[in-house]
Amino acid sequence: MKLTRRALAGLAGAVLATMSLGQSALAQKQGGTLVMVVQPEPPTLASYLSTSGPIGMVAAKVFDGLLEYDLDLKPLPSLAESWEVAPDGMQITFNLRQGVTFHDGKPLTAADVQFSIMNVAKVTHPRGPNTFAAVTAVETPNDHTVVLKLSEAAPYMMMAFSGYETPIIPKHVYGTGDLRAHPNANQPIGSGPFKFVEWKKGQYIRLDRNPSYWKKGQPYLDRIVARFIADPSTRTAALEKGEAHFAAMGAVPFNDAKKLAENSGLTVTTRGHEMFSPLAELLLNTTRKPLDDKRVRQAIAYAMDRQFIIDNIWFGYGKPATGPMSSNFAPSGLYTADVQTYEVADGVDRANKILDEAGYAKNAEGVRFELMHDSLPYGQEWTRFGEYVQQALGKIGIKVTIRQEDVARWLKRTYHDHDFDTTANYLYNLADPVIGVHRAVHSKTIKPGTVFTNGSYWSSPRTDELLDKAKIEPDATKRAGYYAEVLKIVAEEIPIIWIHEMNFPTVVNNKFADVIVSALGVYSSFDRAYMK
Amino acid sequence: MKSFWARFLGNPRVLAGIAWLLVVAVVAVFAPLLAPVDPFEIVDKPFLVPSGDHLFGTDSLGRSIWAGLAHGARTTLIIAIVATLSAVAFGAVVGALAGYHGGLVDDALMRITEFFQTIPSFIFAIVLVAILAPSATSLVVAIAVVSWPPIARVVRGEVLSVKSREFVQAAVIAGQGDTAILLRQVIPNTLSPLIVTGSLLVATAILTESALSFLGLGAPNLMSWGFMVGAGRSFLRDAWWLVTIPGVAILLTVLAINLVGEGLNDALNPRLADV
Repeated sequence: MKLTRRALAGLAGAVLATMSLGQSALAQKQGGTLVMVVQPEPPTLASYLSTSGPIGMVAAKVFDGLLEYDLDLKPLPSLAESWEVAPDGMQITFNLRQGVTFHDGKPLTAADVQFSIMNVAKVTHPRGPNTFAAVTAVETPNDHTVVLKLSEAAPYMMMAFSGYETPIIPKHVYGTGDLRAHPNANQPIGSGPFKFVEWKKGQYIRLDRNPSYWKKGQPYLDRIVARFIADPSTRTAALEKGEAHFAAMGAVPFNDAKKLAENSGLTVTTRGHEMFSPLAELLLNTTRKPLDDKRVRQAIAYAMDRQFIIDNIWFGYGKPATGPMSSNFAPSGLYTADVQTYEVADGVDRANKILDEAGYAKNAEGVRFELMHDSLPYGQEWTRFGEYVQQALGKIGIKVTIRQEDVARWLKRTYHDHDFDTTANYLYNLADPVIGVHRAVHSKTIKPGTVFTNGSYWSSPRTDELLDKAKIEPDATKRAGYYAEVLKIVAEEIPIIWIHEMNFPTVVNNKFADVIVSALGVYSSFDRAYMK
Repeated sequence: MKSFWARFLGNPRVLAGIAWLLVVAVVAVFAPLLAPVDPFEIVDKPFLVPSGDHLFGTDSLGRSIWAGLAHGARTTLIIAIVATLSAVAFGAVVGALAGYHGGLVDDALMRITEFFQTIPSFIFAIVLVAILAPSATSLVVAIAVVSWPPIARVVRGEVLSVKSREFVQAAVIAGQGDTAILLRQVIPNTLSPLIVTGSLLVATAILTESALSFLGLGAPNLMSWGFMVGAGRSFLRDAWWLVTIPGVAILLTVLAINLVGEGLNDALNPRLADV
């Protein structure tokens, strides 16, 4: 027998791979307590009422969803063992897993799913009424089959069935009484891998292993404790000392995360935000002169040094954005970087040239025109960003004055009164462009009074048409084609200066593994997390 | 007995205080010459340690700490002094009217003064700035509004004691009007405690302005020391100079004002000083 070197190497690789697989399977022993930092303390645990971050971080361990998602946003079976979308997209059938029980011992049936979608998600959830707008009825032919009847195809809906976004809650508990003020809002009963045990206000929430969880042998952890530590440096110190093992979503300041990454006992990852994909943006009011002029907006886009912003304000946690869509949609084929780019070495010169040619001459003090920038009142990074914008635009002859107001006033000014020149914000792309991208540029989302919608007030008939087609197009390639054209037009019109795809650092103690295994990151169930 | 100036300047602590305040005043006045850049301008790489290129290093965005310190001295001093002058002027008028007229006027004015005194002053200042939206004007207003009550009380007390003196009674008999008596006879004799309290108030005003700026409620387009400490506080472990340098500047300036204020007090009340 003649063994070539390559075959040998391949064989060795296969053996190694098998060994490491075997090892990791063996390593998943049961036991251990994971202490996660949750910041700030959640107001309730009613994730069916609010999408507020801290609520979901805890509640997603208690409530299951119909589906799970991997790091590439691929749907995986969960409470639904399998599912089928009708060829015309007008009907979705879920086959539920049998023998699943809630924490109170009662079985989970199709009626609970029907209740969770029709009476909860479509009614009380902040995003649900929009996501499930096309659902006209949920039929339950038997206890383990659920059929969603739709008024139009809604391919994006398949991304909204996680335990965080659309928790399946027991009808026999939450079906009685006022759902908006339910006694079980703070003592959730679900079917998830962890059971709610106690909430010491101001200190911690304790979740214990659900021994009758439907995934055999899982979860591996005995307990999850969500601790509330108000001071950022104390949070960092707790992670360094191993008193807390996990922190995500801004619980650790960006500059501290950089330092924690050098700690051999900790791992800092930016994965687990693919379902959210926040994009930092400089928002322009395109109804105001001279921001209604495309050339001015392009000049501003050229003046921004995205890499400088990422490196010095967000300490490296980010990636330059090319438009309203995050590159996290690249695996699904919807994203393209083939658009006009403003990330060039001679940006300031180009910007000055554009403004000169457009007739915005500099006066004796070197000022072409003045703008007011409203700093986003969401913490230090955004204050620095406002100061950076002031400096960067100063270089191209635009004098910027900064105004700093509180959150309520900023929201009202930006989304209700629309009384601003420029401001900053970050919008989540969420699980599908229909949910997270359309709202930033579609004319239908120019809705005074609704926050986090189209704040620039820019739209065009062509992009509206393309977005509407993409919304109901079941064919992935055709959908990608529509979005490619939208992204091209928007990058040229540049109504919003998209700065970067924000990467939040997630800190995990190396004693634990498989904590971040889903695009939902901290908002997933942690049923596979284990202590080494 | 030695003259006022001899007592005042003969005090080494006063001299030290005056020396530091002179340095700050010179830096503040000549800031555009000493640091000829916009203090918010990104001049070099971030987090450069203090060196020959950048006397006090650069901050998290690469802005010169020296430029911030120099221009910040302007902001801090102007806001503190204007706020103090407003507080002293208003407080003195209220106190003088209350003390001189007595009776119902006194009761009414003092109840109002007490109303302001019962509100924790820093929290009140935060609320005012938040309502008015942060700017130099709202800082001045907020600091003045929380600072005038002690002045009013001091002036009222002094006026009460002065107005019963013989020379005031003589002025009344001589037929002088109320305004004339207040301005010519009473107020000049209440000046020394007013000057002492007012000078110490500048120190409090600097601290309040710094604390508000530290919390992000400062004037957003003006560099100030409190802002520098606030912006640098998350980097204390990595870059000490961001916080330490402006922090020490605040400390020394407030200390210097207190030294000078106490020196004034000793010099103006010689009997007290000799005890």
